[in-house]
Order: sequence, then structure tokens, then C-alpha cells
Amino acid sequence: VSQAWAAAALRLRSGRRRTGVAAVTIAVASLLLGTAITVGYGLVTGFERAANAADLPDVIAQFDERPVSGLDPTLRALPNVAAVAYRFEFTHVPIGAEGHFTPNGAVNIVDPGPHGYAIVAGSDVGRAPRGVVVERGLARAWGLGVGDRVDLAQAGTFHVAGIGVDPENVAFPLATQAHVWLPASALPGLTGGRLDRANVALIWLADPRRADVTLQQGRATSFDIGGLRFLTRDGVRVLHDEAAGIIVALLAAVSLVAVIAAGVLLSARASAEVRRGVATLGVQRALGFSGEALAGGWALAAALVALPAAATGLALGALIAERPAAALLEALNALPPGDAVLAPLGAALCIVVALVAASAWVPASQAARRAPVSLLRGAELAAPRARRSGRSRLGAGAVVLGARLAVARRGRALTVVAILATTGAVLVLLLALASLLSGLRDDPSALGRRYQLSVAAPARDAPAVRRIPGVLAAAPRHTIDAAASFALQQPVRLIAFDGDHTPFEAPPLATGRRLRSDSEAEVGQGLADALGLRVGSPLAVQVGERELRFRVVGIVRALEHDGRVAYIRAAPALSAEPGAPGVIAIRLRPGADRAQVARAVAATTGGSPSRPSTATPRSRAFLGTLASLLRVIAIVVGGVSLLALLQALGTLVAERGATMAVLRAGGAGTATVAGVLAGAIAILVVPALAAALAIERFALGPLVTGLAAGYADLSLRPSAGQTLLVVAAFAAISSAAALLATRALLRAPIVEGLRSE
Amino acid sequence: MRRAFAIALALLAGGCGGTAARHPDPGGSTLRSTWIDPQGDGSLQVGAGEPLRDRDELGSVQPVGPELARFVHLTDAHVRDEESPARAAFLDRLGAPFTSTFRPQEALTVQVLAAAVRAADAAHPDAVVEGGDLADNDQLDELTWATTVLNGGLVRPDSGASGYEGVQAAGEPDPFFYRPDVDAPRHPGLLARAQQPLTSPGLTAPWYPVTGNHDVLVEGEIAPTPRTRAIAVGDRRLIEPRAGLHVTRAEARAPRAVDALLAHGLPGRTVRVAPDPARRELPAAEAVRRLRAASGAPRSGPALDYAFDIGARVRAIVLDIARRDAGSGGLVTAAQTDFLRSALRAAGDRWVLVFTHQALPSAAGSASAMHLLDRDAHVLALVSSHTHRNRIQPRRTAAGGYWLISTASLADFPQQERVLSVHATHDGGAVIETWMLDTAPDPQADTARELAFLDAQGGRVLGDAGNRQDRNVRLWRDP
Repeated sequence: VSQAWAAAALRLRSGRRRTGVAAVTIAVASLLLGTAITVGYGLVTGFERAANAADLPDVIAQFDERPVSGLDPTLRALPNVAAVAYRFEFTHVPIGAEGHFTPNGAVNIVDPGPHGYAIVAGSDVGRAPRGVVVERGLARAWGLGVGDRVDLAQAGTFHVAGIGVDPENVAFPLATQAHVWLPASALPGLTGGRLDRANVALIWLADPRRADVTLQQGRATSFDIGGLRFLTRDGVRVLHDEAAGIIVALLAAVSLVAVIAAGVLLSARASAEVRRGVATLGVQRALGFSGEALAGGWALAAALVALPAAATGLALGALIAERPAAALLEALNALPPGDAVLAPLGAALCIVVALVAASAWVPASQAARRAPVSLLRGAELAAPRARRSGRSRLGAGAVVLGARLAVARRGRALTVVAILATTGAVLVLLLALASLLSGLRDDPSALGRRYQLSVAAPARDAPAVRRIPGVLAAAPRHTIDAAASFALQQPVRLIAFDGDHTPFEAPPLATGRRLRSDSEAEVGQGLADALGLRVGSPLAVQVGERELRFRVVGIVRALEHDGRVAYIRAAPALSAEPGAPGVIAIRLRPGADRAQVARAVAATTGGSPSRPSTATPRSRAFLGTLASLLRVIAIVVGGVSLLALLQALGTLVAERGATMAVLRAGGAGTATVAGVLAGAIAILVVPALAAALAIERFALGPLVTGLAAGYADLSLRPSAGQTLLVVAAFAAISSAAALLATRALLRAPIVEGLRSE
Repeated sequence: MRRAFAIALALLAGGCGGTAARHPDPGGSTLRSTWIDPQGDGSLQVGAGEPLRDRDELGSVQPVGPELARFVHLTDAHVRDEESPARAAFLDRLGAPFTSTFRPQEALTVQVLAAAVRAADAAHPDAVVEGGDLADNDQLDELTWATTVLNGGLVRPDSGASGYEGVQAAGEPDPFFYRPDVDAPRHPGLLARAQQPLTSPGLTAPWYPVTGNHDVLVEGEIAPTPRTRAIAVGDRRLIEPRAGLHVTRAEARAPRAVDALLAHGLPGRTVRVAPDPARRELPAAEAVRRLRAASGAPRSGPALDYAFDIGARVRAIVLDIARRDAGSGGLVTAAQTDFLRSALRAAGDRWVLVFTHQALPSAAGSASAMHLLDRDAHVLALVSSHTHRNRIQPRRTAAGGYWLISTASLADFPQQERVLSVHATHDGGAVIETWMLDTAPDPQADTARELAFLDAQGGRVLGDAGNRQDRNVRLWRDP
């Protein structure tokens, strides 16, 4: 042990510059790690954290207005019910405050008790007679604080008693409705001071895992409860996902990839450090250090360097990512992790230190097992192979010489290539992600939609719309948000068209065929995964009081509603819910003027045509938040890439200083030196670039899309332009590195270079 | 990661000798163990038994003397031909008073009764009083299955075509019925197993029937009519009542309403079922005759009024107060009052327990009978059922008073029967030690209990298990 400590101390003292470089590398990789963990952990756990803080009900039942006294015994009779609360939700209430106004307020009248939201400022309703709670999104968007006044149409003017986070949906303005809660006691004229009628019940379960049992009994006793819909936590999560779930999932997946990349960087760098110091190992072995002590000492030295460096990097990464990640979480009505992120960061610190130590220990112990003489002979771990006779395949010349110098140390060259390839792949991934997000935001076809306009109008207007010049096809499209009848906690969205839906909406078919009759359904992969459906399986959907049965004939890669969709014919949907909400989907002829057609459609139907919704919101505020978060990640990853490249080249130049000095002593000029360095750089960068593109194309891209939305077909392939951009960036960085290295080399006296061997 | 951590903790707890899971008592005695829902999540677990508690409202606590007689009161089995087209299961969704027209566990009534028989046998009673509503819908097959279970033998609880053909089939797209193959909690194959033949060991003690309204009336409400009889043995089952169908909730109007409803056949969408003549609805006299024949109950006549003695110190009197025309309530006739008078007189100084289906105090025309009982110093208890609820109340009278005891049903949760052990006391009084029996462990009966517990219109919600004072107690009675 004492030998190991001595070896560690020797290692740290003997190469202060190298130690500093190693520390910087570890800090930078940890910076990436800290950023990735802060973003990924915050996003992945944000909903659950908000749901727990808000004590989000396990089941939210919506129904037509009815007396609480009649409903309460029915709900409390259900098995597994721990608590029940009620509210009366008025929608489309005009709300105004601080010069702002929205006609789309959702005012919830509640009694004292649990409400399913978390108070983040001020106090809950009921403390002050005219105090209301406003949702955090509204407070942020309008700059409201506790004590400010809020006008709630006819209900009058109230003051903000508290600000709450309600994870039942994403926040205003990402969600169109702005939520306000006020106590029934504040409206004695309307409610008699007590909530005696309700249209929403919040149900908490003793064991949420048995929600299906509760819901089954709820269904059996809900015969006369009109308009009843259950929303479980799964359903709420899908609602969140509809708003920005794919973004969250993609970011989380990218974060995971960044974590992996940081791991590769760390281990490669630590391993390379040892490889560079093998000669020193030989000296120390010759001085009498045992192999085990040396390996342990070097691992200890690596760990001692890694600990402060990784802690600094992780902390810095967390600090950089914390604000933009929190802003994104706020938009989603989720809560940032706060101190909870310290746990994964602490774990990451331990892992980094262990990884660095292990990466030093393994090659050091391998090397230390060799005879000191062979260690002193060269730095490579493997015994040098016999040189082949004849000319090298690389040919001759300064550039070729540089390349040969770079690959002469194969292990180290591979390490540099691995580092460059990894960072390059992450950069390519980020560029591809930017493209994908922009497509999801702007292109309805990402959801499989092939129509360009939709209008909320009765189905009977469809023939008239079809006759409008520029319209290729038009058909009523109905959507019903329902539940799987055999697994009531699982939400299902029914998408129903009259006749063939594929001209209007055709997510790619993964297996099976398209539906042909009223009794058939195509289901999304997400739904198939959730319910264990296959082609030929029965699909039962609870719609109101009816159960619709279908046979699954196809499984599609649909992105909408987390893939928990089923395409069916309109007839069965309308038989179960005649008033099912619907629009007329309109497909335009090629070259048709969308604006002109929209005007004609408006004139024909009286509705307001709009572009079909896309997979991600177009809210400017939200997109701004997202952009800032992506910027942070890109800057960190880009910075790491640049540093890794420069460092790798710097190392190469430093190691080959003697060779360059010999060349210069032999009369080589600036051009020759630059050529040698360019060759060395090229032999490392070119394969690294190719590997980066291949890694992104075949590994990272599929990994990220698979993790984010395995139920849909998303592509994270870089475009040709993006590929060229990365190539150009690498070329620019390489040129800059070569230039800097050449200048540094030429400034140094030749004698100094000759002495360095 | 969290799951792995939890598993590791669980393994650690197990390795460190975590609490062993309890097993239910093989004889179902709740003195040793019973079923509880400790987390309130709707899942039953075996919990600790409930010891006897003293109830001294009618007598002082003292050392218990020798046992004079031991009864098991097993009641409201509602053995149901759940495939019968005569049933009106669709009414269940309307709530009270139709909540018993469908039960999630209804396909398992024969298995539950068989498990109750095993529990009763384990209690080694002198006699078993079957408290009424042995059948559910006054059908021949139901009564035959039930009496075969009580007497022992092979029962084939399947009517019509072979296999299950009822509202709980997975193929039935009516979500108001629990379908065990597809709905939570899932029990795949349960319906198929429910139709399998089973052999009952039969009661080892003699059993004595009490007439229940469901034994003699269709759905326990109306006397069979030509129209209801035709439906019972017919080949059409109503699956969806026609829109706007009005169903009266007033019991008094039920016979006329049902007759009008069926005037033009079944009122709504029907499906074909395999007809079965064994589903024949029984006239009340035939139902009574068959009960008497199966049990060996004494006396003859249209009503099942009789008395029997257990040893020299205890007499049981059974009164048949089920109406024969319509209505689920009890009715005491003058002739029955006379019979009661003579039976009490014949009892001499024996302790008397009176068994009825409906609670006697609430039955129409019961005033004179209650007057007789109130004056008699040897009446120890009035034992009834019908409400499906465990309940024990003292009735204080000048003659010393007696206990009003009601036992839960086998149809609804808690699916228990009651042991009544009559003991003498040293001062010449008596004490009834009574405790509940869960059905003996059996996969189908256990599933039935689970489903009965979950039923949001069933015994859990209605508090049918009663409180501790209604279950395992010593009921003291001074001389």
C-alpha cells in the first residue's frame, strides 16, 4: 500500500503539465455529463415529481354536471378508493389581469381539501375570502404575483392568494386554457357557500397499481352518469406527451447518449495517459516498485486527479443546464429536481472517478506485468511486430510521413480517433435532432397526415367542400378519447374517417393491412405495446356507456397520442358517440393556393380552416425555451469536441517534437513541417469523421429515436447539408489545430526539440 | 433501478426472517383467522382471528357450562343458474333495489355452497339450519344443485348447452357486467371452471330448511306466471332492453309491471340460448315439497313450519313466513301464530331458538307472534337472514329477553355462516357462543369471495359483515 501511495505521489509530481491536461479533460467530459444528467434527469422525472408534489389524483372523472350528494356514495363505494374530492369546472370563462386577457379560462370551484395541485407561492384557496389560486403558467405569462387582482367575468374581481402547479395538463400558454381555482365559499350566491354540484371528481386510490379494478367497478356502477370519462395518470401522462412528450423524450435520449459519450471520452483519455507513461512505468519498476503497487498507484493518482476535476465539471454542467431545463419543465407544468439532482450527480461523480481509476489501472497493470527492460524500450503495450520489408503502403512525402508518425503509435491513435468519432457523432446527432424537431413542429406528415387543412364543420358540409376548386379530397374526421375496455387505465384515441382513411392519414404500416370494414381497426404501435395487441387480436374500447369491439388488422407506426391510437370507420364511432367531435379534413390539389382554398372553405362552412396540428407545439415562448436548452447542450458538446480535437493534436505534436526537430535540423521548411502535421491530423480526423457519421447513422440515431418513441418511425439521419457542415467544421478545426501546432513548433528552438526524446 | 433496489430489500427482509404469510383456517373458523383488507386497496388477505367477546345486555358473564346444542346457520346461498334466460341481470345497472340481479361472482354459487358445507362439517354441529334463499330464482335446477351439495354428491352446475352461455362471457360487449376473462381482476377460464362438475361431501349433520322468498318466487319477488315460465325454459335471452323501457322500482307494482312488460315477449334485443327444461320455475308448494324431501324436515303441508329438538334442553322452531304471491317481505299468518304457540308450549323448559328467513319483528302480521315470544322466558334467540348482514341485537322483555340474530349470506360478501353453540350456565341461564365461519379454502370459492368483496353494490359497501359485536360473541342470558 505504501508503495502504491509512493507511486501515486511520484506520478502526480513527475508530470504536472500532463496532470493538468488530464484534469481539464476530465472536467470537460464531466461538464458534458453534468449537463446531460441535469437535463435528462429533470425531464424524465419532472412529471412524476410534479404529480407527487401536487398529490395528483390517480383517477380524474369528468361527467355531466350532477349533485355531489348523489354521486359521492357511488364513488366511495368503489374498492381501493382512499379519498374523493370534487370540483365544478367552468370553461371558456373570460379572465383578465394586469392588462392581459384570455377568453379561454378554466375556472374551478372547489371545497376545502385536496385539489390535485401544488402551491408554489402564497397559500391555497380558502384562507382569504376572495382569494384564488392561479396556475403558474398564467402567473408567469402575465407577470402575476400573490396579491394581484384577477377579473373572472361575472364572478367578479378576486385577488391571487396562491400560485399552483397543476400537472393535470401542460401550462398556459402551451395549453390553451388558463386555470384558476376559487373556493365555493367565495360564490355564496351561486353555490350556497358549498360545492353541491360538480362535473369533475378527483379520486385517490389506496393502491394506484390496482386502478384497473377500481375503474372496472366504477364502470359497472356508472349507468346513469352522463358524459362520464375517466382520466388516469397514464392518461394525464399521454396528455403531457401530446404537448411536448416527444421533445422531452428526444432530449432525454440525447442526454443519455451524451452520458455515454462522456464515458467514452473519460476512459479513452485515462487509458491514453497510461499508455503515454509506460516508459516511466519501466523506470519505476527498475527502481523496485512492484507491478501491483504501480498499477494501484497510477489508478490512485488518476482518481485523485479525477475527483476535483469531475466535481468541478459536473457542478458547472449542472449550473449551465439548470435554468433552461427548469424553464422547459415549467412550460410543461413539471417541477425541476432541485436538490434531488444531487443524487445522480453524486453517483456520476463516483462513477467518473471509478471509471478514470479503472481506465488507468487496467493498462497500467497490464504494462507493469512486463519486464522493465521491455517497458523502457518503448511506450507501446504490445511487443512491436517485426517490420515488413519494402515501402510502406502510405507512400512517401511530408504528408505521408506525418500520417506514418501518427499511426506508429497505434493504440494512442485509436484512442484519439475514438474520442473524435464520439464527439463528432454527438455533434451530428444534435444537428439531426434540430432538423427532426423542426419537422415535427412544422410538418403534419410527421403524424402521418396527408391533408393540408381542416375545418370544424358538420360532416354534411364535406360534399360542398369537395367541390371547392383546389380541393382534391375532403372527408369528416372524428376523434374520440376513450379507454381500453379490458384495461380501463389505458387511454385510447379513436380516429374515425368515413371510408378509406389513407388518402388523408396514413401512418406507415408496420404489420398487417389497412382496415376494410366497420369491425376492423388499425392500431398504433404504442397501443399495441400497451395492450399486447397483435394482428388478429380483439380490441375493445369503452366509449361512453358502450363497448366497441374491433379486430386488429394492422399495426401502424403512429406518433400521435404516444401511438395509442386506433383508426376505425366512422359508423361504429358515431353509433357509440353521435356527437363525437370532428373536423373536415381537406387535401389540396398539387399547386393549389392554400390561402385561397381556406377562404373558400370558410365561406362554404362558416368555420375557420386551419393547418392540421403537428407533433410539437408552435408556441413561440415554448420554442424559445426549447431553443435555449438545445443551445446549451450544443455549446457544451461542441466545446467538448473542439477541446478534444485540439488536445489530441497538441499531444501528437508534443510527442513528435524530436522527430520534427530532426526534420528541421535537416533543412525542412515551414511547408514541410505543416505538411507533416497535416498528414498526422488527416490520418486521425478522416477515419474519425467517417466513424462519427457511421456511429450516428447506425447507433446513436436509432438508439435515440428508439428510446424516445419506439412506437413510431422517426429518423435522426443527418441531411447532406448537415453532413457537409460537420465535415467543414472538422476541416476548419483541423486546419486551425495544424496552424497553431506548426507555429508553436517553429517558434521552439530545434535544440529543445532534440532534447525532448 | 428502484425496482432492483426494492427487490433487494425484499430479499433481504425475507432472508432476515420477515413475517410469514398466514394461512386461512382449513375449517373456515374466524376464531383462528379471517379475511381482511389491511391496506384498503380491495385485496383480501388472511388476518388474525377474532376472539369471542362477551355481550351482557341480557345476562351476566360467568363460567360457561356444558354445551347443550350446536347449530350452524347457513343461509342465502342463492344458488344461481346464471345462464338462465329467466334472469333480469340487466336491471343491476339501475342500482337499488335491483343490485342483486347480477353479482360478479354469480357463476360460483354452487362452489361457494360446497365450500360452506365443508366449513360447516368442520364445526361438527348437531344440526345445520339452512336459512332460506337456497335457490336464487325459484328454478328446479337451482334447487336441485343446492340440495345435492347439502346432501353430498356430484353436481353439474351447467344448464342449457354445455359450457358457459351467459352475460359474463368475454364475447359479450356489455361493459356493465364483469367478465372474468377480460376485465380486472382477470381470472381467465373462471367461467369454464365454474361449469365443471364438482363433488360435494355433503353435510354430516342433519339439515333443516327455512323457506326464503327466492325459493318460492321468481327473483324473490313474484310468483311464477305462464309468461315467466315460458321465458325460463325458452330459447331467447334478453341482452339489451328496448330504449326508454320503464322499470318500476316499487315492489308492490312488480307483478303487474312484469306481466305487462312480457306481454309481447322479451322487451328488447335478444339472443338465442339453448333451452333447458330443468330451468322450470317451481310453484311454491313444489319448492317446499322438494326442500322437505331433500332435508327430511318434519310435518307436511304447504308451509315449512316445524320444530325439532337437539337433545333434551334445546328446541328449534322454524317458521315459513315467505310470501307466496309477491314481495320479498315476510308475512305471519294466524295459523302460524297458532303453530308457534303450540310449539312453544311443547318446548316445556327447553331453551328455544326460532328460525325464520325474514326478521320476524319486521314481518307483516307478526305482532301476535312477537307477543308470544316476548312472554316466553325460554326463548333464547330469533335467528333470521334475508338482509345478508351480520347483526346481533338484544330484545329486552319482561320475561328476560332474547337475542335477535341475523347471519350474513353466502351470496354476498362476507360469504359467511354462523355457528350457534348453546351452553348452560351454572345459575340456570344460558349463553350462546356464536362465531362466523368463512367458506373453507377452495380456489373457486376464494375467487368468489374476492369478487364479492370488490362488488361496489355488494356486501362490503353495505357493511354486511357487521361489526365485531355482530360476529364472534358470547350472548349471555340470565335464567
